[in-house]
Amino acid sequence: MKKNNIVEIVILGVLGALVVITLLIPQLLRDRENGSLLSVSVLFRDTDSSNWIITRQGMEQAADELGAELRFLNLTVQNDSREQEELLRRESEGGADALVAVPVDPESLYMALTRLSTSCPMVTLECAMEGGAGAVAPDNRAVGQELARALLEDWSGGQVVLLDNSAACPEVESRLEAAQEVLSQAGISCVRLAALPEAWADKKWVMTFEPGATRQAADQKEDGYSFALYGVGSSTAITTSLEQGSIAAVAAWSDYAAGYLAVEQAVRAVRQRPQDLEPLTFSIVRGEDIYAPENQKLLFPVTS
Amino acid sequence: MNFFRSLAAQWGERYRKMSIQMVLSLSFTTVAAAGILLMGISLIWRFSAANEQLVAENSQRMLAQANRNLDSYLRRMMRIADTVYYRVIKNTDLAEGSYTDAMGLLYEENRDDLVSLAVFDSEGNLVSAVPLASLKAKADPAGSEWFLAARKNMENLHFSSPHVQNIFDDPDSPYRWVVSLSHHVELTREGVTEGGVLLVDMSFSGIEQVCRDVTLAKGGYLYLIDGSGELIYHPRQQLIYAGLLEENNKVAAGYRDGSHAEKFQGQSRQVTVKTVGYTGWKLVGVAPADSWLASSSQLFLFGLALLLFSIFLMAFLNFLISARISDPIRRLERSVKELERGLEIEVAEGGCYEVQQLGHAIRSMVSTMHHLMDDIIQQEGQKRRSELEVLQSQINPHFLYNTLDSVIWMTESGQQREAVRMVTSLARFFRISLSKGKNMIPLVDELEHARHYMNIQQIRYKNKFTTRIETQEGVEDLYTLKLVVQPILENAIYHGMAGAEDDGEISVIAFREEDDLVIDVADNGMGMPPEVADSLLDEDRPEVHTAGSGTGVRNVHQRIRLTFGERYGLTIRSEPDEGTLVRIRLPALTREGAARCHQGEVL
Repeated sequence: MKKNNIVEIVILGVLGALVVITLLIPQLLRDRENGSLLSVSVLFRDTDSSNWIITRQGMEQAADELGAELRFLNLTVQNDSREQEELLRRESEGGADALVAVPVDPESLYMALTRLSTSCPMVTLECAMEGGAGAVAPDNRAVGQELARALLEDWSGGQVVLLDNSAACPEVESRLEAAQEVLSQAGISCVRLAALPEAWADKKWVMTFEPGATRQAADQKEDGYSFALYGVGSSTAITTSLEQGSIAAVAAWSDYAAGYLAVEQAVRAVRQRPQDLEPLTFSIVRGEDIYAPENQKLLFPVTS
Repeated sequence: MNFFRSLAAQWGERYRKMSIQMVLSLSFTTVAAAGILLMGISLIWRFSAANEQLVAENSQRMLAQANRNLDSYLRRMMRIADTVYYRVIKNTDLAEGSYTDAMGLLYEENRDDLVSLAVFDSEGNLVSAVPLASLKAKADPAGSEWFLAARKNMENLHFSSPHVQNIFDDPDSPYRWVVSLSHHVELTREGVTEGGVLLVDMSFSGIEQVCRDVTLAKGGYLYLIDGSGELIYHPRQQLIYAGLLEENNKVAAGYRDGSHAEKFQGQSRQVTVKTVGYTGWKLVGVAPADSWLASSSQLFLFGLALLLFSIFLMAFLNFLISARISDPIRRLERSVKELERGLEIEVAEGGCYEVQQLGHAIRSMVSTMHHLMDDIIQQEGQKRRSELEVLQSQINPHFLYNTLDSVIWMTESGQQREAVRMVTSLARFFRISLSKGKNMIPLVDELEHARHYMNIQQIRYKNKFTTRIETQEGVEDLYTLKLVVQPILENAIYHGMAGAEDDGEISVIAFREEDDLVIDVADNGMGMPPEVADSLLDEDRPEVHTAGSGTGVRNVHQRIRLTFGERYGLTIRSEPDEGTLVRIRLPALTREGAARCHQGEVL
């Protein structure tokens, strides 16, 4: 065959191939766009989702935009890590494409994840987990430090109780330790307690580092205890307590953003496009500031 | 610059090595592809421009519809406010009754759109409210933005930005987003009027419903802002509030009604703005550029496929056409190459007119070349034959025998000196005849050759004639074809001097006539009729190989013409009883000229 003919055949071949490719790509794109919904299971560590309503809204928004189907699963016993591991196994075997979890015990959850026969990316909320596809959480040390500084502004003497009731979660521990450091540097006496004492001699200062603990402490205060409470969280109950003065200040971040980012990261992990997650931004909100425009946007989700 | 030069040189080199078919194919294909691409781009551009216009018109139409709906909704709210004011507040003296029942009825009628209805006195104290009847302990209505706005601008209704209504104690839903419509009202208490503020908290869902149902072009959406650019509604409002998304709402607040192009976060988009009457709110429709540049990637790819297919077809046709054009040229080229190799082939004649003409011309040229070659071969043959004949004539046995016989006779009769002279002349005669095989010899040698011949013949003919050989000064160094004079002299002796009685004379005179060398050989012999003289040089004359038959003369004539061309040769003038003049015309050749004439021959 002559050189000319070979060149001509190559040119025609390339052009023909390009025509075929450009005709096939739309079909492939259509198939991809019409691909089935991703199944994402969300594992909470609570017995109900009342603390996670806004987070769920964010998750649902992300699922709606990114083509995912969510299954929300609660534990029958609060903070039961074995049950959470069992749920993890069941969901994975049930065909979940990805998991979002609020781990009770990140280490044991990781071990359970490694025991799975199928690979299933997992994004965690609140706590980071080894081997996870990402963790959606604020800078926990900064949260602890800023919350302690808020307390320092009000402090008028007395011991500060650091409520340490979620020992399994290293992120909460990180907040607590950072707060303790700031307080210690300021020369304030601190005590770590697993639960609030039954009787209070004097006015006390209490810091909590987890939304559940904050709500519990606020409830106890409303029951007649007298102490200034500094906590974390932005649920309606916490906001109400904040407005009513049961809580002096909270470190709040958008649960809606957290939920959205968690599902977004999970979907990206399934589609092989995970990104490094930035820490969630947070604000220290005092009771008198909750209706400031920016805090309204942070604390109160727009619902119709 | 050097790079471009080098590139141009490389392309030039490739171009020189390319076949005509490849050049035609690539040129046609490139031009066709460029044309198709240009046309495609132009079509896409026109299509996009038209699409952009359509998108703008569609956005404006949709916004106008949304504006009507929103306007209707807001008017309904304003009517509710007017109803409360003019039908309830104006007709009720607070000392005698309450607004609550009437407001409750209104609320129940419009509960889908309303969150609350409330009336406050000028101090911000709650006068009446439905459905919630109590304020929060820390509520400060008088400090609220909607209260202050109503007090400040008493004539108009005031619409607030979206906010969380925080004054009512609502155990079920404590934090609801609302848009507050507030209006300064005059309350009557014990017949005395006093200032107050009417608050109508509009449900966020009402506004959301109006805006949510608007569908813009693919990827487009609509949002609502107040006069300062603060978001009232956005389909992804919570994401914006959570800081995960940004919107260009502050800039959009500065846009006039109509469509505008903007670039936000690296994305080009078309923004259509429509101001909602009375409130100063703005409906903003956003259409990403993708929606009109190519209405979808699918359409774009389909267009691209069509474009590529067109190029494919054009390339295919170009290859066929270029092959059809170039094939005859390539066949012609092959024919010429085979001709170069000396093969006898039929030159291809095909293709379009010009190529046919070229083939025809080459074929004609080849034919002419063949003829010329045949002629050359024939001429060369003739030349060789003529030269051979001349040489043969020089060693004519009869001439040699007679000469040697004369030498014997002279020796026997004691004429030794004449005998020596004759033998010497014979020797010189043969030496010059041979001339080491050269064809061109100096005129001096040629005349010397003639002189020796005449010496021999004079002895043989017992001096019945005399010989005179003269040369013009300066012509001796010219060159001549050898052995052109002797055959003429031989002819003059045999025909002219046969009947001479010791008074015969033969003269040889060489002179130059412009660029020619002329050698006249004349005798005063019997002569001949002019027609006979003319026939001597006739090539068709039957050959008679006897001494003085005229063959030698014709031979000389042919040799000169074969060597120097038709312009040269012999002319014979003769008259009976007067004699004959044979003129030999040759080019006046110097040594170099002679060498050029007979290339390669060492003279």
